[in-house]
Amino acid sequence: MRILSWAYLLALFAFILLPVVTLVIFSFQDGRLPVPPFKGATLDWYREILTDRALMEALGNSLIVALLSSLVALVLGFLAASGLARVLLPGTVVMRGLLIAPMTVSYLIIALGLLQMFNKVGIRPSLLATGIGHVVINLPLCFAILYAAIGEHQKSALKAARDLGAKEWQVLWFVAAPMLTPGLAAAFFLAFTFSWDEFIIAFLLTRFDVTLPVEIWSMLRSGLSPATNAVGSLVFLVSVIVVVALELTLFRKGSK
Amino acid sequence: MLIKQTCSVLAVMAGLASTAQAEDLNALIWCDHADPELLQPFEEAHDVRVNVKEYEGTAAGLTLLEQSRPGDWDVMVIDAVDVGRAVERGLLAPLPTEGLSTDSYFPEAVLADHTTIDGTTYAVTEKFGYNTIAYNKAAVDPADMESLDALWSGKYDGRIAIYDYYLPVLGLVGLEAGVATADLDAAALETLREPLMKLGAASKQVSDVVSSQTALATGEVDVLIGGGEWLTAVLNAENPDLDWTIPEEGGLLWAQSLAIVEGTEKPELALEFIKYVTSPEGQARLATSSCYWGMPANQAAGDVMSDEQKAILRWDDQADYLARAQLYPVPDAETDTAMQDLWTDMLQN
Amino acid sequence: MVAPALLWTLAFFVVPFAAMVMMSLAHMEGRDIVQGHDLGNYLKIFTDPSLRRGIFVSLEITVVVTLISVLLAWPLAWIIATRVPPRWRRIALLLAVLPFWTSYVVRSYSWALVLGEKGVVMNALVGLGLLAEPVQIMATRAATIIGFVHFFVMLLTLTIYSNLVQLSPNYARAAEDLGASRWQVIRLVILPLTLPGVMTGAFLTFVLCIGDYITPQILGGNNELSLPQLIMLQLGRRGDFPMASALSVVLMVIVTLAYAGCARWLKMERL
Repeated sequence: MRILSWAYLLALFAFILLPVVTLVIFSFQDGRLPVPPFKGATLDWYREILTDRALMEALGNSLIVALLSSLVALVLGFLAASGLARVLLPGTVVMRGLLIAPMTVSYLIIALGLLQMFNKVGIRPSLLATGIGHVVINLPLCFAILYAAIGEHQKSALKAARDLGAKEWQVLWFVAAPMLTPGLAAAFFLAFTFSWDEFIIAFLLTRFDVTLPVEIWSMLRSGLSPATNAVGSLVFLVSVIVVVALELTLFRKGSK
Repeated sequence: MLIKQTCSVLAVMAGLASTAQAEDLNALIWCDHADPELLQPFEEAHDVRVNVKEYEGTAAGLTLLEQSRPGDWDVMVIDAVDVGRAVERGLLAPLPTEGLSTDSYFPEAVLADHTTIDGTTYAVTEKFGYNTIAYNKAAVDPADMESLDALWSGKYDGRIAIYDYYLPVLGLVGLEAGVATADLDAAALETLREPLMKLGAASKQVSDVVSSQTALATGEVDVLIGGGEWLTAVLNAENPDLDWTIPEEGGLLWAQSLAIVEGTEKPELALEFIKYVTSPEGQARLATSSCYWGMPANQAAGDVMSDEQKAILRWDDQADYLARAQLYPVPDAETDTAMQDLWTDMLQN
Repeated sequence: MVAPALLWTLAFFVVPFAAMVMMSLAHMEGRDIVQGHDLGNYLKIFTDPSLRRGIFVSLEITVVVTLISVLLAWPLAWIIATRVPPRWRRIALLLAVLPFWTSYVVRSYSWALVLGEKGVVMNALVGLGLLAEPVQIMATRAATIIGFVHFFVMLLTLTIYSNLVQLSPNYARAAEDLGASRWQVIRLVILPLTLPGVMTGAFLTFVLCIGDYITPQILGGNNELSLPQLIMLQLGRRGDFPMASALSVVLMVIVTLAYAGCARWLKMERL
């Protein structure tokens, strides 16, 4: 049983890590094609992508869209969760259902719907349009995480603050937010990740200023090159560093 | 943590804002026009920024224009044979012809019949090439490639890739069946269903530019129908065995053109851009652009290009090729839909 | 306080969706969209063999992917939660989901490099003498499924793991005290208790898988078209918004049916 367990663990890890390892190795390929045989190592492809104006702008765009859209989703989700947790109204279930609903819909459908609505009212495809779409997909996520984080203990603390005469904003800012910090951090982090990596909404709702996944997609379509590997590896490396840093600081306390 | 992030956002935005001051030229393009090597000299000379957006297929491009507002777009790249379609819907502005002489062009590549409608010129051709057969000469018998029959012979089953664009490939299937592209109407189309399905069954994949390149370069397939110099030229250094030919039945000539979009607020700048791209220097850069290569419409580019580049594009054989190639089919709306339906059927079966 | 979130959802989710449903009732005349109120597009989806097949292609792929992913992920989550020493657990979990952090588009692309005839896997298998010659995986449904399973094993491992660690070890101990063998404990006690985690993860897998365009587009070689590929084809090639919308509505109905089917096990707000 034990040996079987470890063998299974290793086999699945190999499966999970195989494409990433391959990706990284061939980002150093000294040749035009990122496929075996490996022809020797070079950093040329990294130099190429780091000096690629379109790519670096896309990276900046992705950062901005991800930060702002997850911030908006977080605030909206936080307000809704605190509001719905306060009292049990007859409409609560319906409202909760409506807020969660976008989670059960494919991104492609959300993108297509927004595209048609924006066309009709004359809003051009842009990063703003993409950001709006990302808030739509991340709002349910933030709401769900925070709503689940408000337990009986939190509810009574909020009630106590209100009974003691605190204004609503004070309750939210001084009591609810500090109490829910782990949940807020997790929600923001997840929302950021989803927005950062989202393709189809950004693809349909942008024009010239695009996000990183869209830029990578057009790189892919315009020619086979180890540069694509290099971008993927770089994004991977930076993300892993961020994740490990968060793991060591923010989430360590929460997990123990 | 949030404060820090907010600061960094503001910093990034401030950085972006300062680069966004120059004037913009908005271009609806194919991927070869996205190459910085091509755009940068123009951007620097005129202190503008060229914003590009790629599109796929004329129908989608025209839909995009119709859903935009006047002034959204300044120039567009369009299949020369489709200029009429765009003009009919009022999407293109007349093109001033002073300073845009086509005297030094390959005569067959001017295509004035298509770019000039009722005496008004709307577009100028810029680049051309062929959709024919590309192959790996180390893996196939080059003699077989001299006839399209080889693809239906069974000899290469499972080693064929089909380029995923219905117009040129249907045109080629038509040539094999003895239908000239100009005669490819709804009735003729039905006779192509069977050979197309057979081709689909014999093929390993139906793929876009990159997947086709990958498959050819890595040996997953040995023949690509619909390919040509635009597909193999960029891989020449990596694998010199990749070759292409125009079989005895003929091949298809693709020709892309540049036009000013109706409603632009920068007609002068748009015209300057078109002048730049059709100048010998612009032509040379466009011909060897990073996405795909192709023959420059303007022969004067030959003075700027290296002998090696010209050899890869087979500059000296163009007279013969041009004589044997036919233009893309130009279907009416109904036939176009039927063609796309047929193509979807091939993909899905 | 709930109002801003509700308004946002109404304005940018409900209204666009309604607009899309309206659009699905229009049709194309030549190259123009004609507003209308007919079900022609839906009729066509169910009578045109190519479009109808798209529904089955998507369903088949999604069901297979969901099943394989659950079957692979459950033991992995269980091993990490119970066999791996506690201090290594979070590291093991992190390793198991590491490729999450590459870009989504790049992940499919890297499978294309791995699975090709000259790719790493075929090279190794042929080199080791396990295969006489390379087998075609790339540009087949198998490649699409492998690409999908890779992603969803990671996702499901997370949801099942978080479910497993919430279980009190007392359940297992009690069952063992009552004479149950280890297999019986897993099968009769732990497995049923993880059902909510499994179902939630499986549903998410279903939704994300059936709506994905990139993976089949990059790995499937266009030898068959899934629903999202058909939708993008209508948009990208034809500018046929009505048909794209109708196909999207069909996609939406399928997901809703799947939701209704497993709703009683789902705890969406407990993700």
